[in-house]
Amino acid sequence: MSVIYVLIPIAILFVMIGLAVFFWAVRSKQFEDLDKEGFSILFDDTKQTTSQQKSADDKAQQ
Amino acid sequence: MSTARCFHCDETVPDGVHLSLMFDGQSRTFCCAGCHAVADTIIQSGLADYYRFRTKPASRTEPMPDAVASSLQSFDAPDVLADIARQQGDITEIELSVSGISCAACAWLIEKHLKQLSAVSKVSVNSATQRCHLSWRNDITPLSSILAELNNIGYQASPFVADQEQQQFKAELNRFLKRLAVSGIMTMQVMMLAVALYFGDYTGIEASHQGYLRWISLLLTLPVVLYAALPFVHSAWRGVKARQLNMDVPVSLAIYYTFFASAYATVFNTGEVYFESVCMFTFLLQLGKFFEYRARSQARDATSNLLKIMPVSATLLHDEEQVIVSARRLNSGDRILVKAGETFAADGTVLQGSSSADESMLTGEYRPVSKAVGDTVLAGSINHDGVLTVQVQAALATSRLGQIIALQQQTLSQKPAVLQKTDKLARYFVERLLLIAAATFILWYFWLDADRAFWVTLSVLVATCPCALSLAAPTAVTCVLANLNRQGILIKRSAVLDVLPELSHIVFDKTGTLTEGRFSLAAVQCYHDDYSQADCLNLIANLEAYSEHPIARAFASYLQQRLQLEQPQICVGAGISAVYQTTQLKVGSAQFCQLSNPTDAMVYLTADNKLLAAVTLTDALRPEVPALLNQLRRADYKLVMLTGDSSEQADILQQQLQFDQLVKGCSPEQKVQHINQLVQQGHKVLMLGDGINDSPGFNAAHVSVTLQTGSDLSKNQADVVLLQPSIALLAQLLAGSSAAQRIIKQNLAWSVGYNLLIIPLAVAGLVSPYIAVLGMSFSSLLVVSNSLRLLRK
Repeated sequence: MSVIYVLIPIAILFVMIGLAVFFWAVRSKQFEDLDKEGFSILFDDTKQTTSQQKSADDKAQQ
Repeated sequence: MSTARCFHCDETVPDGVHLSLMFDGQSRTFCCAGCHAVADTIIQSGLADYYRFRTKPASRTEPMPDAVASSLQSFDAPDVLADIARQQGDITEIELSVSGISCAACAWLIEKHLKQLSAVSKVSVNSATQRCHLSWRNDITPLSSILAELNNIGYQASPFVADQEQQQFKAELNRFLKRLAVSGIMTMQVMMLAVALYFGDYTGIEASHQGYLRWISLLLTLPVVLYAALPFVHSAWRGVKARQLNMDVPVSLAIYYTFFASAYATVFNTGEVYFESVCMFTFLLQLGKFFEYRARSQARDATSNLLKIMPVSATLLHDEEQVIVSARRLNSGDRILVKAGETFAADGTVLQGSSSADESMLTGEYRPVSKAVGDTVLAGSINHDGVLTVQVQAALATSRLGQIIALQQQTLSQKPAVLQKTDKLARYFVERLLLIAAATFILWYFWLDADRAFWVTLSVLVATCPCALSLAAPTAVTCVLANLNRQGILIKRSAVLDVLPELSHIVFDKTGTLTEGRFSLAAVQCYHDDYSQADCLNLIANLEAYSEHPIARAFASYLQQRLQLEQPQICVGAGISAVYQTTQLKVGSAQFCQLSNPTDAMVYLTADNKLLAAVTLTDALRPEVPALLNQLRRADYKLVMLTGDSSEQADILQQQLQFDQLVKGCSPEQKVQHINQLVQQGHKVLMLGDGINDSPGFNAAHVSVTLQTGSDLSKNQADVVLLQPSIALLAQLLAGSSAAQRIIKQNLAWSVGYNLLIIPLAVAGLVSPYIAVLGMSFSSLLVVSNSLRLLRK
């Protein structure tokens, strides 16, 4: 059971990392508008560029 | 009737409108040129994803009137910009309040669209509060073009000045989140270790392992005690300094006493540890406080758009030259120019021009007041149709608007105190508890068994720990706040839940509260056989489409077919004329239509001077009002109507609705007086209103409720905001508060009963600390799950 002397400190390290990430997320205002962040995954950037290209193409055709 | 719907705003497309765009291989129709232009801009700039992912249709876009477009320019004046924005080097930062945001996709759309401008360096939109934070290079693109750009995609934005207090709120909310995370995550860790220790006690555990796990738990609890629990200590310390034993005193005592006892047990390797209780207790209390704080800060965000009623800029006439200045810097004697649709920036008298003004927010008068040379105008009211030159008589701060705001600040301190009864009970209980604990310690130390004194005292404190007691009210309040919020009722001050079940009088405002606050058709009289009622209304609607006047808006929904009108002419304060297929049409007052024997109707329609129709307009009653009032009357509430309107409409309403008391022609001061009278007679009073003139009365009443459509000042002041345009929510508010009251009583009965049972046993030393913790946790859980019942429905 002496493995817990190693494993628990490692677990605590992970907890600390998790907390640090959460603090960073709060500081970068990710919790101010939860609705919007939920949507951000729908508007992925790759599609964004293609649709921009498409509209550029449209303009070129005109 | 066509059933086609507008692709942009989902309203029906009127006959005679043929606008369409190709999108995703299909032809889409639009209801008006505004929506068409907006959709075109959105699709052209590669943001069509908005239409694919939005969850709600956009609001209908009207093309921007020229008057508004030119008024945007006024924000570019350095004088005005300095008042509303912050300058940091090249970058200017500003907070905008954006109307028209209906779902999260709107936020995305605005961000993407503005980021395409080269001058914009940072933009972030909050869809919940409808705010936009913008950083941009003012030297490249002026603010007015950014606002115009927003208008192109269908949103109206106006500058917003966040007050100091609000920024503190935001920072505090972030601190709350961090504390919540620390206590929550640490609770999980410590709980895991506690399970190991529990099992160790039953199945045997090596002393070295037990010591190790305890030390780790101690280490993990430290951030909770030293960081997350600090607000309780601060509040307790304030209470002690003010000689007021508040609920946070025993909470902090319980947290720190339990922590230090456990730490003592860890260091000297004796007794029991309760680190998991310390963490969980802190976490649960933090959670309740966080939810309450978040509701309050949301309410503030949604309602503190004070600047919207306070005019920002004014056009100062300086030797016949027009200069745009900040409204705050106007002095008495200045001459200002007020265009149609603008807000008066100061109190003054009209020097030149004629128009009508909407003063409903200030006086409760729902009809526009006509203004001619020599009449006085009020700051904060809106100029409808004509251009006026006004001589300023009082600057903004000393204007009528300023006075009402001052009056309301003054009444704020006279707000009837709402005693938090659970707090009082808890305080009483806590005092006795601390005395009993002290007596137990002395008893055991000196007479019974000095060695056991510390542990017996600990089990008394743990067993009777005010956890359940202090969770009883907050958890119930949190749950009912969440539930009411879901129904569209925003409670800004949770203490009102205590008073609501004892309410005896409900005071209503009339204009905008019981009534819609705008004109609608009451009766149409037709005088010509060739024209049906629908034909007449369609003609009127076509003519009125040229006007910005509130009367014109009443006809907008009667527009069936767009007609080709020629030579439209607007005669300010009188009516509109135009030519349709060689017929001279006139819509307006009896005088404008040259009628010899007018009736009491407000709007007439003539064709070549022959009377076609007469229309009577009123401010219609909200449809839900009669049912609501009947329900309230059955529940034995006394109903009072205080209105600033002195017209006969108040009497008509009284006949229809039968109030217990009616006072008309009330100034804001008189409203306060009437409510004060009721309060002094010992009644518990709720005030429901929406105007600026109601807000001083809000502070005089025990509870104040306003509507989302109300003035920003009243939303800022009210305890409760109804987020849907229906005052029927009032009944739900009352039901919710009595449900909460019932749950709180049950919770208190349980926790007090449990404590009374366990105290004698604990004092006698019969309860081992182990059982004490179990009992405490169980009773806390019971209280929390009982409160959770309020979330159902």
